[in-house]
Amino acid sequence: MLSLSQQHFWLRDSQVDIETFMNIAVCVKQTADTESRPVLSGDRSHVTDEGLVWIINPHDESAIEVAVQLRDQRGGSVTLIALGPDRVESALRQGLAMGADQAMHLYCDAMPEDQVVIADALAQHIQSQEYDLILTGEVAIDGAGAQVPQRLGVLLDWPCVTGVEELTMESNKLLTARHPVEQGDEIYTCQLPAVIGINRRIGEPRYPSFKGIMKAKRKPIEKQVPTLKPAQLHTESMELSAPRSEGRVWSHEDGTVTEIVHLLREQAKVI
Amino acid sequence: MSKVLVIAESNASELTVATLEVCRAAASLATTLGGSWSILVDQKAANSACSIAPEVMIYEAGDTYNSADVLAATAAQILESEEIILTAATSTGKDVIGRLAQQIGAPLAQDCTGFQVSSGEVLLQRALYGGKVISEVRLSGCPALVSFRPRSFTPMDPSESGTGRVSQVESKFDPKAEVRLEARESGERPDVTEASIVVSGGRGLQGPENWHILEDLLDALGPNAALACSRPVSDENWRPHHEHVGQTGRAISPELYIAVGISGATQHVAGIANSKCILAINKDPEAPIFKVADYGIVGDLFEVVPALTAAIRDSA
Repeated sequence: MLSLSQQHFWLRDSQVDIETFMNIAVCVKQTADTESRPVLSGDRSHVTDEGLVWIINPHDESAIEVAVQLRDQRGGSVTLIALGPDRVESALRQGLAMGADQAMHLYCDAMPEDQVVIADALAQHIQSQEYDLILTGEVAIDGAGAQVPQRLGVLLDWPCVTGVEELTMESNKLLTARHPVEQGDEIYTCQLPAVIGINRRIGEPRYPSFKGIMKAKRKPIEKQVPTLKPAQLHTESMELSAPRSEGRVWSHEDGTVTEIVHLLREQAKVI
Repeated sequence: MSKVLVIAESNASELTVATLEVCRAAASLATTLGGSWSILVDQKAANSACSIAPEVMIYEAGDTYNSADVLAATAAQILESEEIILTAATSTGKDVIGRLAQQIGAPLAQDCTGFQVSSGEVLLQRALYGGKVISEVRLSGCPALVSFRPRSFTPMDPSESGTGRVSQVESKFDPKAEVRLEARESGERPDVTEASIVVSGGRGLQGPENWHILEDLLDALGPNAALACSRPVSDENWRPHHEHVGQTGRAISPELYIAVGISGATQHVAGIANSKCILAINKDPEAPIFKVADYGIVGDLFEVVPALTAAIRDSA
């Protein structure tokens, strides 16, 4: 893992004054850790919480890091927003330990699977506040929906850039962001307020320090119950995919590669 | 009236391979649902679209870069009574269709890997939890928006006969951001998500100066092979970020994935587990990559890779 000093983040000026003060919110999703083995419900309609280890979605974790650094350089405040059942409080506590100032828990009994519902609930809260900048992860590693930032941009009628790997505040009202696409890099320039979907490749987030963890215990988490709109995406059934089976392993000696090339051509038929 | 609309992506005058794959899905869906399909395409790639699609809608962005905002706004303005709208699940495609879904209040299933039609209803397959769970979803509301992951269908051949009925569409948009493209020099190689063979290097290569042994292997494998790398390699800037495959990089599903000097952390495997065949080369027999590989070679990659390259050339 890279240390922060090795990274080239996006920050240019470091003057902190009231002119640069930013009210930043980070939308956080709690996801199952990559190592977790999902277990399906009896009717195969959803993945149960059984045996899952919960983490902050890795892209969202980098979004928190970006927000905290931005606040430290420019002054301002970082609010975390998470939708979900009681378990999401642990993700919020972790984000607070990374340096966020306060959190908003939008409570619901079960996490909606359709991102239209998630984006709408987040937007309801955001519209009731005066944020300058909304950061989210580009995509969550569990549902792979990849649409919350775009939907928030439309709902709030703000500019949106997603898949951002580099962010520069040109002033307190203007930012530039780099979004890699298949043909190259798109460079966005837009006014604040804006919605930015962060990709983990912008940089590794910090580990919460002991001091950060202690401080986080006293930071406020407010709880609200949003009205959820009906879903438009419905799961009919789920299946666990068969894990890849272990193949054949050779140690390298004369003739090994010839045999493997033969197998790639004749057995697997992939070259 | 067409039932299915494809929002195309193009590279200069050609439709991208990912778009040609989505065209295959569109043609099949239109036939099954009993209707025709159309394509929305930039003026520059109009000829390429006319050869495959029954109906072609051409827009001209002029000097404005076709950002996701522009494309989504254009699509929103031309919609009539389409039932399904498709894009490729590329960076651009997912960006466009996410915006469009919210603009027109339509349901969206992103990054689907396949579909089936059952009693007139379209069911879509999606891979969740890094591919550990496959779900089948239904969208309620019309039109239904879907992006398909690259390599989910055989691309349509641009020379397949089409009698494209062409119309010019106008679009008005007021982009909220200024966007310009810093184009990457496009090499001869396909994009890593579209390549049928992917050769991927990890920290075991010890430094960017050693990548020539992978490039030699790539040359031996032919024009459909592309280079990739693991996260530490892109973090160290040995290789560009767009080559990074894995959970936080790009997800790929080539016919053959060759992992060279990559240990195979869960996060890496999450992005490559859908490969049809995996060949792993690593000096550590305990490396987790061997647990998911079909074929594995334990040895010094600086000996194994050149030998493999030579064996492929010899057997061609």
